[in-house]
Amino acid sequence: MEKIRIAHLAKRYGKVVAADAVTFSVGDNEFFSLLGPSGCGKSTVLRCVAGLEEPTEGEIYIGSTRVNSTTEGINVPTELRPIGMVFQNYAVWPHMTVHDNVAYPLKLKKLPKEIIETKLEGALRTVGLERLADRFPSQLSGGEQQRVALARALIKEPEVLLLDEPLSNLDAKLREQMRFELKDLQRRSAIPILYVTHDQAEALAMSDRLAVMNQGRIVQVGAPLDIYSRPADRFVADFIGLMNFIPGRIVERRGDQASVEFLQGHRLNIRDDGQWQGACVVAVRPEDITLGSTGAIRCRVEARNYYGHLIDYKVGAEGFVLRVQTPKTEIYAEGEQLGANFDRALLFADRPT
Amino acid sequence: MMTAHFDRRYLLMAAVGVFVLLIVIYPLWQVLFRSFLDGGVLSLKSYQKVFSYPSYYRALLNSVWISCGTAAMCMVLGTLLAFVVIRTDVPGKKILRTLLVLPYALPSFFAAIAWIQLLGPQGYLARLALQFFGFATVPWNIYSAGGIVFVLTVHYFILVFITVAGALERMDASLEEAARASGANTYQIMRQITLPLVLPAILAGGLLAFIGALANFGIPALLGMRARFFVLTTSIYYALAIPDFGLATALSSMLVLVALVTMALQFGLQRGESRFTVISGKAVHPSTLKLRSLRYPLFLLIAAIVVFISILPILSMVLTALMRYWGAPISAANLTLSNFDYVLKFETAQRAIMNSLFLGAVSATAAMFVGTVISYLHVKAKLRGSRVLDFFATIPYAVPHTVIAIAMILAWARPPVSLYGTLWIILVAYLAVYLPFAVRTTNSTLQQVHDSLEEAAKASGAKLFPRLRDIILPLARPGMIAGWILVFMPALRELTVSILLYAYHTETIGVVVYNLQDAGYREIAAALASIVMGLLIIGNTIIRKLTGGVAGF
Repeated sequence: MEKIRIAHLAKRYGKVVAADAVTFSVGDNEFFSLLGPSGCGKSTVLRCVAGLEEPTEGEIYIGSTRVNSTTEGINVPTELRPIGMVFQNYAVWPHMTVHDNVAYPLKLKKLPKEIIETKLEGALRTVGLERLADRFPSQLSGGEQQRVALARALIKEPEVLLLDEPLSNLDAKLREQMRFELKDLQRRSAIPILYVTHDQAEALAMSDRLAVMNQGRIVQVGAPLDIYSRPADRFVADFIGLMNFIPGRIVERRGDQASVEFLQGHRLNIRDDGQWQGACVVAVRPEDITLGSTGAIRCRVEARNYYGHLIDYKVGAEGFVLRVQTPKTEIYAEGEQLGANFDRALLFADRPT
Repeated sequence: MMTAHFDRRYLLMAAVGVFVLLIVIYPLWQVLFRSFLDGGVLSLKSYQKVFSYPSYYRALLNSVWISCGTAAMCMVLGTLLAFVVIRTDVPGKKILRTLLVLPYALPSFFAAIAWIQLLGPQGYLARLALQFFGFATVPWNIYSAGGIVFVLTVHYFILVFITVAGALERMDASLEEAARASGANTYQIMRQITLPLVLPAILAGGLLAFIGALANFGIPALLGMRARFFVLTTSIYYALAIPDFGLATALSSMLVLVALVTMALQFGLQRGESRFTVISGKAVHPSTLKLRSLRYPLFLLIAAIVVFISILPILSMVLTALMRYWGAPISAANLTLSNFDYVLKFETAQRAIMNSLFLGAVSATAAMFVGTVISYLHVKAKLRGSRVLDFFATIPYAVPHTVIAIAMILAWARPPVSLYGTLWIILVAYLAVYLPFAVRTTNSTLQQVHDSLEEAAKASGAKLFPRLRDIILPLARPGMIAGWILVFMPALRELTVSILLYAYHTETIGVVVYNLQDAGYREIAAALASIVMGLLIIGNTIIRKLTGGVAGF
């Protein structure tokens, strides 16, 4: 069942288009991310779902309730929407203790005190804060404040959880730990999550599905694996992970295979359903390039960065610079002459993104 | 399904909008409107009157040249002091700075009274000069245009000092270092680099001093009226006493016009300055100038100035309060506490203290409350139309208080709603006067409350009133308390509005001090003024402690 459904959403500020023709839905128990560079409109979409912004066009459903419809003048205020939300800066109220912060949504519902306390205990245990209930936010670390915000969002048992770049203010180590915790939390509490981030690693790691946005529009929706291995266009290919783009030319099409010529007369068959001919761009991930003494493309190691779990090379290949990543065991010296092979490549039309 | 979720914030905006309309827009409109009215018909007769009688158009000219003179003197004094205190290694900078600001924390008509005690006939300094130099009479007269400019300068120079000091502190040190590297000496750097860069700040401070001098009533009233020297504010007071409302409103409109033009200039200057990006919030402070052998002589000079303009008037006021009678020789036998005893048992003074406390507390509370709502609607909710509301609420900032008092008489002293002779009309006027201060304080307080804190409350299910009660107001509380004191303290010592609006039984402290002084009971006036001064200085210390020195004088 769909828990959030957004249809033809547009948000314009005067002539500035923040979001346009946005349509997607989030399923029951699904972890769905909106991913894109800053200013792509992902936060605007989230804020429209939360009711913090009013869409210029379109409809939004949460559960079976229509919370926005511009044609019928419906705009349910935030406080009446069945949502929980975590903000980028946590927005934990500095004048209230952890206890009061988390209990606030229940107090507003005027629940009996015992019920509030029972639920509160559960919520604090879920996020591991039961010992800090009497602290004020200024006495908490960033990670702990984040958990307060999370507990506060979950305690009202919302139909959906909205997260606006919640990990971006944490340090790198904690951020990676929180990825696991968030995912685990979502599985335990069986709640759909709409997650906004500009960090592609975060989105790939946690999402069941994600939508990549650019300039206010959704460019591609899919599972992380699909988006990484079959990016819909050159923007997605460039934005998700690392990618080498090498100019080339289609010399022949046969069925779903295109024969491409690139660099100094190298040929490669790439799967592509398109019909167009002529100039093109060959896209290869750094880990899809094999280096060795026998590779077809002549190249020379120009720089090497050692990362522990892998090695990152810059190699000069027939007048073109390629990024190559190899397993940690394949060590080549700077200046070494090698050959490279492309194990897997994609094909894009030659137009700038 | 039609869901009409009515936004209650518009209800709040309508309520506050009506309030601002009644206490600001309608009264001020009355002033302008009435100035073009003659016996119920539109006419320019009142303006004709102003320009056909020398005594009235001279008031306009006097106002302009007195203000220009004050601004010029303030620019010289303020800039010199700012350079020395900020940019040299003169010792005791912090205490010098605190003491320089002191006169501005006290009402300007106290300054006028104190300087009359010091420089007037029989004044302490006048008597000293007679003894020392053997003059037959002192070669100055405090009851004159010169005296007015002098006291206005002593009161308002701090506005230039503060703006110039701020600019000097924000200036990028590398600009001067680059000049030094190019071979310029210290004097050349000051003349050719530093001075031109802070010139906009000097002018901006000068314009502030101009506006202050233009709108001031207490100083020209106490020093000028006796010499039949009138400026616009005192002419308006005079016109009201006749009473000639046409004349009063025409003079008022002209006063507002001059103030508005000056403010527009000042605003333009600020904009121009922000295009100048050289003075920015850099962390690198410009190096201080080593005075070497001049260090202590210059310190003594500045210390002498500080004693003269900050300490002496206060001492003089307290001394006068302790004298058996005004003009008595200064000796232990002539000192007494009976003036304090008298003034505290004086029924009118007692009533005035109660009135001022009431007016101050109620206007501070109401102004902060309305100010918070306006700021919330404008800064946080960003409702359509809230900008206009914010603008309307800040209009009185540009209007001299004399004009606000006239506006209240025109708007609220006639049937069907006649508040004349009651405390309420003074209260309404105070609300108009202090609303801009309240709005500016709450604006900056609420700007520091991050939007997401309210959004989190919305997402938690809080409607408008719980949100205000549980989140916005508690977070704004420290700023609101500081703002409350910032309104309460000036309201406690207010003169200009209440002198025009008071009646028997509705005197304020300012009115009583003024009337006692005017009637010749100088030692009694000084005793009451000393008590108020003590309270103001204590209050100011508290607020500086509370706000970490951000607010207060």
